[in-house]
Amino acid sequence: MQLAVNIVVLAATYALIACGYVLIYRVSRVLNLAHGELMMVGAYLLVTVASASALPPLLAVGLAAALSLGVGVLVHLFLMRRLTGQPALAAVLTTIGLGILLRGLVVLLWSAEQQHPAQSLGLANPPITLFGGGRISTLSLALVLTTGAVYGGLFAFLRFSRWGIRMRAAGQNPLLAAQRGINLNGIYAVAWGLSTFTGSVAGILIALDSGLDTTMATIGLKAFPVALVGGLDSLLGSLLGALIVATAEVVLIQYVDPLLSDVVPFLILMAVLLARPWGLFGSREELDRV
Amino acid sequence: MGNNGENVMQKSILSSLAVCALLVAVPAQAADEYAVGLSGAITGPVAGTYAPAVEALRLYIDKVNAAGGVNGHPIHLIVQDDQGQPSMGATNAKKLLGQDNLLLLLNTSLSSTYAPMIAESQRAGVPLLFAASVCPKEVYPPAQPTLFCTTAFASQFDSRATLAFVKEKSGTSINLGLAAMSIPLSRGEIDYAEGLAGEMGMKAVDKEIVPPAAPDYTPFATKLQQASPDWVYSWAPWVTEVKTLEALRKLGWEGNYIGWGHIETEGELARLKDGKFYAIGANALFSDRLPVQQDITATATAANSTYAANLMTEGWIAGMVVEAALKQAGWPATPEKVLAAMSHLKVDTKGLRGGPLEWTADNHFRTRQYYRVYRWNPASNGIEVVKDWTAYEVH
Repeated sequence: MQLAVNIVVLAATYALIACGYVLIYRVSRVLNLAHGELMMVGAYLLVTVASASALPPLLAVGLAAALSLGVGVLVHLFLMRRLTGQPALAAVLTTIGLGILLRGLVVLLWSAEQQHPAQSLGLANPPITLFGGGRISTLSLALVLTTGAVYGGLFAFLRFSRWGIRMRAAGQNPLLAAQRGINLNGIYAVAWGLSTFTGSVAGILIALDSGLDTTMATIGLKAFPVALVGGLDSLLGSLLGALIVATAEVVLIQYVDPLLSDVVPFLILMAVLLARPWGLFGSREELDRV
Repeated sequence: MGNNGENVMQKSILSSLAVCALLVAVPAQAADEYAVGLSGAITGPVAGTYAPAVEALRLYIDKVNAAGGVNGHPIHLIVQDDQGQPSMGATNAKKLLGQDNLLLLLNTSLSSTYAPMIAESQRAGVPLLFAASVCPKEVYPPAQPTLFCTTAFASQFDSRATLAFVKEKSGTSINLGLAAMSIPLSRGEIDYAEGLAGEMGMKAVDKEIVPPAAPDYTPFATKLQQASPDWVYSWAPWVTEVKTLEALRKLGWEGNYIGWGHIETEGELARLKDGKFYAIGANALFSDRLPVQQDITATATAANSTYAANLMTEGWIAGMVVEAALKQAGWPATPEKVLAAMSHLKVDTKGLRGGPLEWTADNHFRTRQYYRVYRWNPASNGIEVVKDWTAYEVH
């Protein structure tokens, strides 16, 4: 039972992070290699909110997540917007530069010390014993439930809302979408905002559960193969990719060698790319376009 | 591209070059100063371990200078950030050693930066001091002439002291779990502990090697817990030590846990409030309230330091050693004089360690290594010494 709990928690973590990669790629065809750093910034924003205000924990988390959404929009407005129409490689390289900049800024603004926002917020994290004897911390359970809610919300948003339909249209054919009067820059800004928001929610929940330091950016990068395995333009794919990678990691830790957990996402990625280069649920035409 | 575009491009390149020049420039020092260079991981993923030590060293040097300097001359500390990257460490060493009259080079960074810095310092004949970074094997007897170390932790000695403490508490008929981070140093030490535990009659029931950026430690802790250890020992960066413990507790494991007491120990013992979590280390915690610790606290507070005073012991001790070495070298100093002074140096650590830090011609680690064990006492709601200073001779 504990094995199943471990798989679900890790899969939920990866899925929540990976959907940020998918959102931006699906809409703008940009691989955001600063996603881990933006996720880390969101978590550090919670540290600031927790220390600067006496807000109840839920409100503080909500405010930090909302601020991170703003950060994502600002990244688009002040950086990525200028690269619209430029080769995709330029945008990818820019996100690498952004990541390096954010890592430096985090140390300057918040120091390199380990932070524990849950303690600042007075948030307890007792373990819960589940049916079958498996144990899960309260915040890990919150992460699993949040991942379900975020994916449910994103599916509904993209399928039924006006902005969601516009986002899908901009992703499928930006030229036609623009000719039909869709404001591409507005759509891209929403995508960057939502991507940073979901990543930050993951970062915030991880930080609340087990502390925060600058290695969080690397955790963000570990979810990148998950998005590729599932297919970079498929939210459903990133859910399945997360489940596959998490299962392989946890089973290898348990039965083979814990050291393999670090390389298995990339082994799975190579296997999937060899058999199906566009990922399990990705679109073949999108790969051709890349 | 039109003329306008070319002009913009030229301006951009010139501006970039100017900014780069400013970034890489090393400030020149005056001829009447003791010049000391430092390359450290002030930013980057491991900055949490090293940046507080650099800050403490800087504060200590400022304090010495404010009191008139050493032998009537100020110390000029030139700090360069290497982010824990070997290439940047090599560049920094070249830049710093390119300064006239540099007397001493310090490394406060990851072990991956050692090789290029050792090579550069030996080429220049300038002593290299490892401060807050792990002591390389070259400083143990028989030591390489130009390499020295003040850092608290010492591979193999630490595991010997830890397992001796475990034996004292629970005997040798115990199941021992082990946890390391998948970096060479941590793995090597835990492998050594596994062998030593066997020699002592303990049963090493599981050994988990955790990757540096594991998003969840529970899968590793699950396996450890299933092996039913009475004790778990971790010698790893703090994040791995404490996250393994927290994951084990989450799973309901109630055994004893001992880890190396890094600079974060004091705050973390108070945060975790776990009476069965022991921290073994070579530095005194600030709960001792020593006069020197009050001095560090006052200095850090006056300087409005980014880091808490209880993170600064390593850097402060390095400052004491630098001051003592320069004082003994006299004025005017040369790298040769500093080297001679460091090869026969005894520094009173004023209680920050269990005894003085003493170097001899062939021992540049220290002649005696002292250990103390702390834990959180739930009854008194405070940190307590579980086992007082125990000395180990270093031959």
